[in-house]
Amino acid sequence: MNALLETLQFVYAPQVVNGLSLGVAVILMALGLTIIFGLLDVINMAHGEFYALGAYLGMSLLGIGVGFWTALVLVPLIMLPIGYLTERALIQRVFHHKDRHILTLLLTFGMAIVLEDLFKLAFGPNPLRPDTPIAGATELFGMIFPTYRLFLMGVGVVIVAAVWWVVYRTRLGAMVRAAAYDRHMTASLGVPVLRVYAGTFAFGVALAGLAGVLLAPVYSVFPTMGKDFILMAFSVVIVGGLGSIKGAIIAGLLLTQVQALSSLYISPVWSDPLVFGIMVLVLMFRPQGLFGRLGHG
Amino acid sequence: MADYIAVQAAPGPRSRLRPGLAAVFVALALAGGLAGWLTGNVFYLRLATEALIFGGLAMAVDLLLGIAGLLSLGQALFFGFGAYLAGLLLRDAGLSFWPTLALVALAGAVLGAVAGLIAIRARGVYFALITFGLAQIAAKAVYNVQALGASDGLMGVPVVAVGLGPWSVPASDPLGFFLVVLAIVMIMYGLLSYLLNTPFGRNMQALRANAQRLSFLGFDPWRYKLAAFVAAAVLAAVAGALYPVLRGFASPELLYFQTSGNAVITVVLGGVGTLIGSLYGSVILFGLKSVIGTYTEHHLIVIGLLFMIAVIFFPAGLVGALRRRK
Amino acid sequence: MHTLTQRKLLGRLVAAALFAAGSQAALAQDAQPIRIGVVTPLSGTYAPIGAQVKMGLDLALAEINQGGGIMGRKVELLYEDEEANPQVAVQKAEKLFQQSKVDFLTGTVNSGATLAVGQVAERNDKLISTTVSFSDAITGDKCSPNVFRVNAKAGQQSVALAAWLAKEKPGSSLFLLGPDYEMGRSTVAAFKAAAQQRGVKPVGELFAPLDSKDYSSYFGQIRAAKPQVFYTSTAGNDTVRLFSQMAEYGMNKNVTMVGVSGAITAQNIKAIGKNAEGFVTGVGYSPEIDTPENKQFVEKFQKANKVLPDLYGADSYGVLYFYKAAVEKAQSTDTAKVRKAMEGLQWDTPQGRKTMRAADHQAIQDMYVVKIQDGEFSIVSKVDGKDAIDASVCKRW
Repeated sequence: MNALLETLQFVYAPQVVNGLSLGVAVILMALGLTIIFGLLDVINMAHGEFYALGAYLGMSLLGIGVGFWTALVLVPLIMLPIGYLTERALIQRVFHHKDRHILTLLLTFGMAIVLEDLFKLAFGPNPLRPDTPIAGATELFGMIFPTYRLFLMGVGVVIVAAVWWVVYRTRLGAMVRAAAYDRHMTASLGVPVLRVYAGTFAFGVALAGLAGVLLAPVYSVFPTMGKDFILMAFSVVIVGGLGSIKGAIIAGLLLTQVQALSSLYISPVWSDPLVFGIMVLVLMFRPQGLFGRLGHG
Repeated sequence: MADYIAVQAAPGPRSRLRPGLAAVFVALALAGGLAGWLTGNVFYLRLATEALIFGGLAMAVDLLLGIAGLLSLGQALFFGFGAYLAGLLLRDAGLSFWPTLALVALAGAVLGAVAGLIAIRARGVYFALITFGLAQIAAKAVYNVQALGASDGLMGVPVVAVGLGPWSVPASDPLGFFLVVLAIVMIMYGLLSYLLNTPFGRNMQALRANAQRLSFLGFDPWRYKLAAFVAAAVLAAVAGALYPVLRGFASPELLYFQTSGNAVITVVLGGVGTLIGSLYGSVILFGLKSVIGTYTEHHLIVIGLLFMIAVIFFPAGLVGALRRRK
Repeated sequence: MHTLTQRKLLGRLVAAALFAAGSQAALAQDAQPIRIGVVTPLSGTYAPIGAQVKMGLDLALAEINQGGGIMGRKVELLYEDEEANPQVAVQKAEKLFQQSKVDFLTGTVNSGATLAVGQVAERNDKLISTTVSFSDAITGDKCSPNVFRVNAKAGQQSVALAAWLAKEKPGSSLFLLGPDYEMGRSTVAAFKAAAQQRGVKPVGELFAPLDSKDYSSYFGQIRAAKPQVFYTSTAGNDTVRLFSQMAEYGMNKNVTMVGVSGAITAQNIKAIGKNAEGFVTGVGYSPEIDTPENKQFVEKFQKANKVLPDLYGADSYGVLYFYKAAVEKAQSTDTAKVRKAMEGLQWDTPQGRKTMRAADHQAIQDMYVVKIQDGEFSIVSKVDGKDAIDASVCKRW
């Protein structure tokens, strides 16, 4: 009995907690992705690069003397107009084509290539890292956890709750969901649909940028960081169901736990492929994921 | 009987294959090859050979995207498979050129069928993500397997001779091997064109336009999708097999997303659905990288921007744009 | 009389012209420059290493040419960007061998590129040397008669570090962590063996996937082993994450942190910040080496480039002198003759006298142990060349 408790405390619990802190990153990314797909029907292959952009913006702000907490608030605000313009200027152009899905996929894929090289050009290829804003570690149930990571988990819950509230409990959210369900009807009701689309995209990438700043002290900042979580985020979105916020959260928690705990039994090199494997299986047998779509029937 | 109806229902202009442009390509390639040989410019001949090899991979992506309407983001899986298998056969089993190619084609078909059974179940974006995921898993596997050379790759593939009846062309002969690769790629193009003009092929093309209508006419789209997938797998595998013959090694980078992504860019730049556009696109892309690379190391920005412009303004690609002007 | 003088004058002029032309041609033959190709990453993640390689080579080039070149012939360097990709490296190497007809090639950084370019060199019957790649396989089981290495390999670094560790912390417990691929595994294995031989006790080892984001999942295991010394062979970003996360969890308190030389370099030391203090590694060169030759070299290098040389710059500087010595010994640039001259050759470098071992084309040199103090590497120990290398395992010739 004692041995079991010890195993739980020193072997499993840390893994679970690590999975949770990874989960915050992945869920924030997946939320943005799923909202953009659910509401705009657009697969944003450049989502990871917006995550990186947020991190780099954060580093730049820190470089001119802005404090970490101020930067945390400023970065998503700066990302909003960037995302809005991207949607209006680029994505709208291919939106009305009959091959829209593939074209937006290709377009955002191109954007990702350009953005990654731009980061290398502007910031150099070497890694950067902000100092941990909350230093030190706390003891919980006999285990030591860095205080910043605990903070991250708390912030994650707050952000997810806020997103949920906005989408499901505000008038703005209702407009957005209506536009996704039936844009013509919504437009005829006087809702500026195109602006709603651009705004939603902006919101999604702002979330990604926020994640970038939050996680910079833990995972550091470098030009290819956009690829760090994007694969996991896509897997989460697929397994949870494209367009479902509930799905993104639950699948996010599930998959990150699978990855964290699996490294106890199989070589960690195969954790990522395991998650992809789950994604592939879901795509084969239940393509709509666990919870289906947000705005669509 | 039912097949015959499909033939009549699909008139010429629906097919975007341009045999004229194919002939022009061969002429240009021969001229270029001759020029390279006369000026002793071995480097460019070998680079052009490599462009043709990756053009073959791009053709496979085009077959799926432009003809069958399926975007594959992981075609490098079959390319890398062909490269490693050929490397092993040539280096360790001591096989010669043609038996290696034949075995790779066969194995590619089997792998294609297996992967196809997994991937075909999904449509559109999901299909793209499955192919992406499969390629990632394979790349990770190859990177970690010592027997395949792990991260350094499979080294030491010997220089083989390509037997053509009474003649023998060593792979190290720049012009000779260039012509061999050109011939192989054009033969595969020819076979595909022929296939696409058969009733079976016309039904495959209908997949892109409207798969649902196909099933209303009594055909099971699934068969055609699988056939397209297997054909694309074989094409990519054979193209991949030519790589270690040219360069003497196979490395995990051949399976990375960058390889698959480059193929997609090639297809879009060259002309989706034209098959020959992929070959033009590959030459253009290689040329662009070479030229831009001498001015700045950030050639990806330029290529990425060109790609985005192509997607927005010329969804039919370069060749498609040429066609529209007529 | 006019005509005769004119004719004589004309005749002399013609003769003079012919003589000038003839000797010009003869001079041109002798004055044909020696061309050396350099395939090195000038862009991408490894660009800073390529930059040091270039700086070292350019400095040596200027000195050698000022001194009359090699056997009276001027030396030329032709640079091509490798982009840290074996495919590109191979393309560029071919271009240099076949189009530019270089006599010798150097500059490859990552081990995959060196091996692939080595094959190209064999096909073209030319010689290459790397000045950066430290994978043991290059002069080990994947050795090639056309490939030489003037820099220290991973095995030498491990031996030097292990010797220091055995002296400073005899019998201590050691935990090893490496990225899960061939290079990561082989460096961990090499150090573990070298340390064990000298009385240090390994208490655990771990391999994390390359580009792991989060090492905290392994901390439970590491903490349970209670090591006094922690060895890592991660590089670049992985080291940044490993060290900052270890600091987050307080794992680096009272633990001696050591590792492979590539773990902390100028590229990532800033991002690691104060978490890098006290890190110890074994290297083949340090700008602090206290010999007059090295001081002169560092001064010249700094004057020309405004930065200190690192091991890549120093070894690249040395490779041109290596080639020069070999060509002068062989009195020719013919591949077979130069190869023979190179085997067993001794030549002087800023880090002292090196010997090129004939059995595996690996340079034997003195090794140094350096430690990060106040954000910079300082020398703490030195190991003699012959003690810092193990027997050759190359069997190809």
